[in-house]
Amino acid sequence: MTEIEVPYQETIGVRHPRSWITRYWFSQDHKVIAVQYGVTAIAVGLVALVLSGLMRIQIGFPGLLPFITPDVYYQAVTMHGMIMVIFLLTAFLLGAFGNFCVPLMLGARDMVFPFVNMLSYHVYLLSVVVLMASYFVPGGPTGAGWTLYPPQAILPGTPGVDWGIVTMLLSLIIFVVAFTMGGLNYITTILQARTRGMTLMRMPLTVWGIMMATVLGLLAFPALFVSGVMMLLDKLVGTSFFMPAIVSFGQPLEHSGGSPLLFQHLFWFFGHPEVYIVALPAFGVVSELISVHSRKNIFGYRMMVWALVAIGALSFVVWAHHMYVAGMHPYFGFFFATTTLIIAVPTAIKVYNWVLTLWKANIKLTVPMLFALAFILTFVVGGLSGLFLGNVIIDVPLSDTYFVVAHFHMVMGVAPILVIFGGIYHWYPKLTGRMLNNTLGQLHFWVTFLGTYAIYYPMHYLGFIGVPRRYYANGMESDFYPESAATLNEFITIAALVVGLMQFVFVYNLIASYFRGKAAGSNPWEATTLEWQTPNTPPSHGNWGDTLPTVHRWAYDYSVPDEDQDFIPQNVEHT
Amino acid sequence: MKTISEARGTLVTTLADDWGSDIATLKGVPWGKVMMWVFLVSDTFIFTCFLVGYMSVRMSTIEPWPNPSEVFALHAFGVSVPLLLIAIMTFILISSSGTMAMAVNMGYQRRKKAATNLILVTALLGAMFVGMQAFEWSKLILDEGVRPWTNPFGAPQFGAVFFMVTGFHGLHVSAGVIYLLTIAFRIRRGKYDESDFEIVEISGLYWHFVDLVWVFIFALFYLW
Amino acid sequence: MTKETGQRHPIRIYLVVWGLLFLVSALSYSTDFLDRGFWRWTLILLFMVLKAGFIVAVFMHMRWERLALMSVVLVPPVLLMVLVGLMTIESDYTRSMRIEHFETAIPGEAMPVVEREIRNRRPD
Repeated sequence: MTEIEVPYQETIGVRHPRSWITRYWFSQDHKVIAVQYGVTAIAVGLVALVLSGLMRIQIGFPGLLPFITPDVYYQAVTMHGMIMVIFLLTAFLLGAFGNFCVPLMLGARDMVFPFVNMLSYHVYLLSVVVLMASYFVPGGPTGAGWTLYPPQAILPGTPGVDWGIVTMLLSLIIFVVAFTMGGLNYITTILQARTRGMTLMRMPLTVWGIMMATVLGLLAFPALFVSGVMMLLDKLVGTSFFMPAIVSFGQPLEHSGGSPLLFQHLFWFFGHPEVYIVALPAFGVVSELISVHSRKNIFGYRMMVWALVAIGALSFVVWAHHMYVAGMHPYFGFFFATTTLIIAVPTAIKVYNWVLTLWKANIKLTVPMLFALAFILTFVVGGLSGLFLGNVIIDVPLSDTYFVVAHFHMVMGVAPILVIFGGIYHWYPKLTGRMLNNTLGQLHFWVTFLGTYAIYYPMHYLGFIGVPRRYYANGMESDFYPESAATLNEFITIAALVVGLMQFVFVYNLIASYFRGKAAGSNPWEATTLEWQTPNTPPSHGNWGDTLPTVHRWAYDYSVPDEDQDFIPQNVEHT
Repeated sequence: MKTISEARGTLVTTLADDWGSDIATLKGVPWGKVMMWVFLVSDTFIFTCFLVGYMSVRMSTIEPWPNPSEVFALHAFGVSVPLLLIAIMTFILISSSGTMAMAVNMGYQRRKKAATNLILVTALLGAMFVGMQAFEWSKLILDEGVRPWTNPFGAPQFGAVFFMVTGFHGLHVSAGVIYLLTIAFRIRRGKYDESDFEIVEISGLYWHFVDLVWVFIFALFYLW
Repeated sequence: MTKETGQRHPIRIYLVVWGLLFLVSALSYSTDFLDRGFWRWTLILLFMVLKAGFIVAVFMHMRWERLALMSVVLVPPVLLMVLVGLMTIESDYTRSMRIEHFETAIPGEAMPVVEREIRNRRPD
């Protein structure tokens, strides 16, 4: 007996929500949840942006704002880092883009367990609230740096040692719960709920990037969870997982026998995959943007997929390149430097493929495309500085200097944020039915792109001459700090403030275009992927009406020879 | 596009066919089961990280590590029997795994009453396990003076690791008991009558995982 | 979502494996009577892996699942082996550093050679 497989989602009905609460607040519609994630992430990201402004003012113009004491500064450093990495980048790329794009691109009605999806958002919101509560507890937020290294993170001398570190760790633990719930949904949906004809190798690269990132998250966040629990126990209960025999402010403490390096290993076992959790969806979205806006199929789709898989797998064996100078086993550097250089290979392959996609393509310099191009430029710069840092010997003088700050901001702070912007400009018309204002978009792009270059390019030089990172006092007090560094810092600060202000223009654009934006139609970019082929725009609950689409081709049939149009949607049959 | 019968081939062709097929990669596997398996993989990483922390702390400490056989011995009939309570707890958890496996079988045979009863027995055994673990904790805390930050037997991390690892495992068992009770009552109420009762298998996976973690804890912490 | 025939295996296999689990657990427990050393540790690990194997393969039904599901579940833990291996080396290194630098002798063992030589060379 032969059975033709039917997508399960076609057989189950769609229960439409009735009240305002079930439609918007406790929505189980993936598109609404995506917006919830996006709005929350942007809101908390703006907080982190303001914190970075405060930091830069202190670095560039020390003493200008007297309320920025060392404590305030280090709290800003920590909160800025943690919010940006976890609560903005991870939450937006996976929570917002993941939730919005995945079911639509796969031809599904929704995620497989919409209730769990809804829960994941609310638990994420709770984690944000707990984190922000740091500002209202005695002592304020922790100032341990986003890496939260013990023993100092839980010893006096660090801001927030009483309560701030506890709220921080609790919020991370809650975030891991939220992420796990969301992640399980994504994996199950991608594996099991595709539509007819949608094989894994016909999925858009956005979905591949999100899928790999989700896998990484499900496997890496446990290490963060465990190190967070152990540090909480060290702080609250007095255990000695990470605390060696130590003297603090003249008093020997009760702890003994623990190892701070254990924390570092566990943290970076999470921390390195984390940066790929941010990068891989960005890679996926960039492939989409470049392909659509240059009217050309992505070069080497198969290799792009395998590169994503290889990067994901390798990302678990490179972690201690963050620990070359930490005092770990002296031979570990050999191993980790080797794996770190190896992981550069699939990453480079992806860059070559993006460039080859652009070669002789019909490039349309729309705002999403500009952001995608800027991604390639900034990611390559950041990646190159990573090659320096990945080599043990060169890392010794560069570690903990501004060179590292420049590197990770370029690869994590600039490049993926540019992709987030590009993705928002790209998918906003599908979400709302309106285009974002083009003039404001161009302004936003040029100021952000050139501005972030102005911020981070000189920072490499600062690192070379040895200016250390995470220092409150950058200036006249230190002997080794030359005049030129102070001038450069002033320049960087001004650039940073300008770029920061421009982001509020972007937020204004987001809100204003919702009401006054140009009507977009269902497929303004003439793209092939399924999300642009929905019967309604914005897509209604259930996405596809009565029948799920059937996929007949891959996601990149652009500029196919001898065809009338320069694109063929995925659900168009072969003639 | 192959039909499912055509897709079933040799083991390796099935692997390639599954990963290359449309709609679903894991053919015939219900969504809930996929989700549970992926969750268990993630949970495996959590417990492995805990055990790695334990291994790290134990291997790097200078102070001697207490001998679990002596710490966890019980006095029965005037004789000190090493690890007696732990052996009983292992016996109980394995028994519960067995009853759960039978419950799954009953579920697929649509024998609701038998399945429900076996699930309840499993939950009861799980609750007994937690009770014994709680007894163990109270014995160590109240009688022996073991604390997370110190203990009279050796390295101070012994207590920390013990409470943390068995605490998380105990939490998982307790959550499992509540989960199983919920499933049992829902089966009785008829909530799964339309299905193939795969929910019993799904909850069974979680329960076996809890037993699996205990196998590792038993071997690496109590015996090593 | 198509349904495969569920766990329609005869109950016998579960009872057999159940019995085997009890047996291997008893064997595990009996390793407690061996002295700490190669044999004790090897047997502990062996029985642990056996029990784990029985539970995953039979009770959790993995033996009869498609290879695709097997790969999803069994491949990721390989990454953990890297972490475990490296942390073993690192913890051993930490311990040797503590012995070398904190003038700490293991109770019952002689002072490390390096320590003795440093002490001999000091003018005090």
